[in-house]
Amino acid sequence: MNVSAPPDTKSGQAMLLRVKRETGGFDRAALGPADEADLIARCRADDRGAYDELYHRFRRLVAGNLYRVLGDRTDLDDLVQEVFVIAFRGLDKFRGDARLSTWLYRICVNVALGRIRTRKRRPAAIGVADLDAAAIDPSLVERPEQPDRTLQRRQDQARVYAALEQLAPKKRIVLYLHEIEGLDLKEIAYLVDSNPVTVRTRLFYARREFYKIIAGEPVVADGSGEGDT
Amino acid sequence: MSRHIKPHRWADALAGKVSDPERAAMKRHADTCNACARARDRVSRASDTFPTIRTEESPDLPWDSVRARVHWSVSKHRREQRGTSARSRVPALAWSAIAVIAAGGLAAIHGHAPLARPEVEADPLAQAVPHPTTTPAPVAKSAPAPIAGLVNRVSVGDVMIDGARPKELFAQRIVAGTVIATGEGRLDVQFGDASAFALGPHSTLDVRRFDAEAIELVVDGTIDVEVAPRAPGQRFLVFAGEHAVEVRGTQFRVSHEANATTVACRHGLVAVQDRAKRTALVGNARSVRVATGASVEETRVVPLSVDELSSLAAATPMMLPVWNAETLLATSAPLEVTAAGTREVRVDGIEVGVAPLRVRVMPGRHTVEATDSAGRYRRAGWIDVAAPSSSARPARVEVAAEPAPGAAGAAIAERRRQLRGGIDRASLSRCTRSIAKAGLTDTYVQIEISVDATGAVGFLNVIDTDLPSATAGCVREVLVDVRFKPGPAATWREKLAL
Repeated sequence: MNVSAPPDTKSGQAMLLRVKRETGGFDRAALGPADEADLIARCRADDRGAYDELYHRFRRLVAGNLYRVLGDRTDLDDLVQEVFVIAFRGLDKFRGDARLSTWLYRICVNVALGRIRTRKRRPAAIGVADLDAAAIDPSLVERPEQPDRTLQRRQDQARVYAALEQLAPKKRIVLYLHEIEGLDLKEIAYLVDSNPVTVRTRLFYARREFYKIIAGEPVVADGSGEGDT
Repeated sequence: MSRHIKPHRWADALAGKVSDPERAAMKRHADTCNACARARDRVSRASDTFPTIRTEESPDLPWDSVRARVHWSVSKHRREQRGTSARSRVPALAWSAIAVIAAGGLAAIHGHAPLARPEVEADPLAQAVPHPTTTPAPVAKSAPAPIAGLVNRVSVGDVMIDGARPKELFAQRIVAGTVIATGEGRLDVQFGDASAFALGPHSTLDVRRFDAEAIELVVDGTIDVEVAPRAPGQRFLVFAGEHAVEVRGTQFRVSHEANATTVACRHGLVAVQDRAKRTALVGNARSVRVATGASVEETRVVPLSVDELSSLAAATPMMLPVWNAETLLATSAPLEVTAAGTREVRVDGIEVGVAPLRVRVMPGRHTVEATDSAGRYRRAGWIDVAAPSSSARPARVEVAAEPAPGAAGAAIAERRRQLRGGIDRASLSRCTRSIAKAGLTDTYVQIEISVDATGAVGFLNVIDTDLPSATAGCVREVLVDVRFKPGPAATWREKLAL
């Protein structure tokens, strides 16, 4: 898995801002550039406290990204572990020309992609929509919802994830990042380590397939999904 | 080619990426085509879930366990890397070894001490908690990483640490060897994710061991403990007189008196052991009282009453959701809340206990609420807490005495009139236009609003609504723009039909 530093600082920062704005849950992990550089330097010097701090700052962000991309929490702790292991091992290669959180987000996308591929080969033991998650959904705790609205919302989400599940892994990631996270082609290209033209083609076919599935029409997979680079 | 509209075009239309004439044509078609109307509705519903998915937060995970596994995996990787580089240096090392042996031999001949064995540099990651299932490769065993706890809350009364009253209690690290004694109040100490203890009134605690391998607390008095599940190999022991209480991950209370020890378990499982190593297991909602000198096997484990369970729940030690002792020491600060009489206090919506008390908070603005005579939480004020510094005075909120009931009612009535009269109805209609077009009418929004004496809105929260989140946000913006005249301060809830 590629964990080298991102080549495009601008797009990385733009994406960071976008993610921060869209998710609203990013402040906990936010660090000033100087603090971030200091943290990375301490990690490289094998400072155990720095590793702990990095983990504590970004663990919820990482878990949240993985949870949203995959739509269920099966083995989520293993995936969070995988992201941090890749990050800690690859920290020496991180040049610091993008924010740490952007770099971690990229690792999350790659780990999620790997997970989707594995799951395609070995069907999930449980449904794609984690309906039980409603029991601890923080939004429900903060603002009580009518039970029927909650159920409908969870069912709609389940349909979305069921449709995503039918797409080829690469198409799925691209569609998720564009339609749900609202990222643009350049940002997605950076995250999936591809070029914007490939992403655009992949997205074109992914949208057609996804909305056909959502609309309940029979789908014949077309375009590139897994074989392209 | 089908004359039906492609489903993804509906998504484009919903995102505003379709020209007006085309959108009109699509609408006309959907009015006469059931299949396309159905597809449009399904696409629309799916699109509506995107913002919800985007803001979904992750569920809670066993963070400590994940961290331990990460550290283990990374440190193992580094050890392997070092091993590889060591192997590649074998010829050079062989020559060095010959030289060292020769030098040692010469030293022995001359009657000097042999060369000291070079110390291996400690890998900080290797100090992490061992992996719960994998047996590590044989490496030089390093001392387990020490743990430091921090005081999160102090309620009423004196606290002594190592025989002295610390001036900056919240800056004090609780480490192995610390002895804590409480007077009238209680003290809450957090030492990890979801792991904390609270020392009850008139109790003494000796922190005998406090590291990643084992935590051993010796208590005289009452201690409430909540610990996250321990990894295999990690031990958590509370010694109370001649009894030892061992846990894996649970919430429990140990009370040690002169003639008996009582262990009550709220959830999880604890093992109580006496001097003769006989063990009794205390499970969920159960307790055991073992007299001094008695065998635990002869003692009955009894269920807890509802009142006892409530008492245990209320005594749950205070814990911060984000835990890192060093970071917290540098970034968090104490907040003191005082009040006349007995008032339950909430900070940022979290119940923290009975005032007067001090709690650890992060820098920033905090809302403090206190109960009124009817037991309902009322806003007592907000306070900006600065980052900790030696010169800064601790943040303090004094809960004011309750106003006369009649005056509060009149103030709310006046502010309510001003709110209803000040809403910009045109803007409100703009907010609800799209959902009204979709046929969604008779909606409502319930808010909680606070207006101070100058007429400034302190806070405005949407606490319930049947509107989509975007529309509710728009409605909130309209309500925030309502201007109030100077007058009595009031906080109230309002349900507005739209």
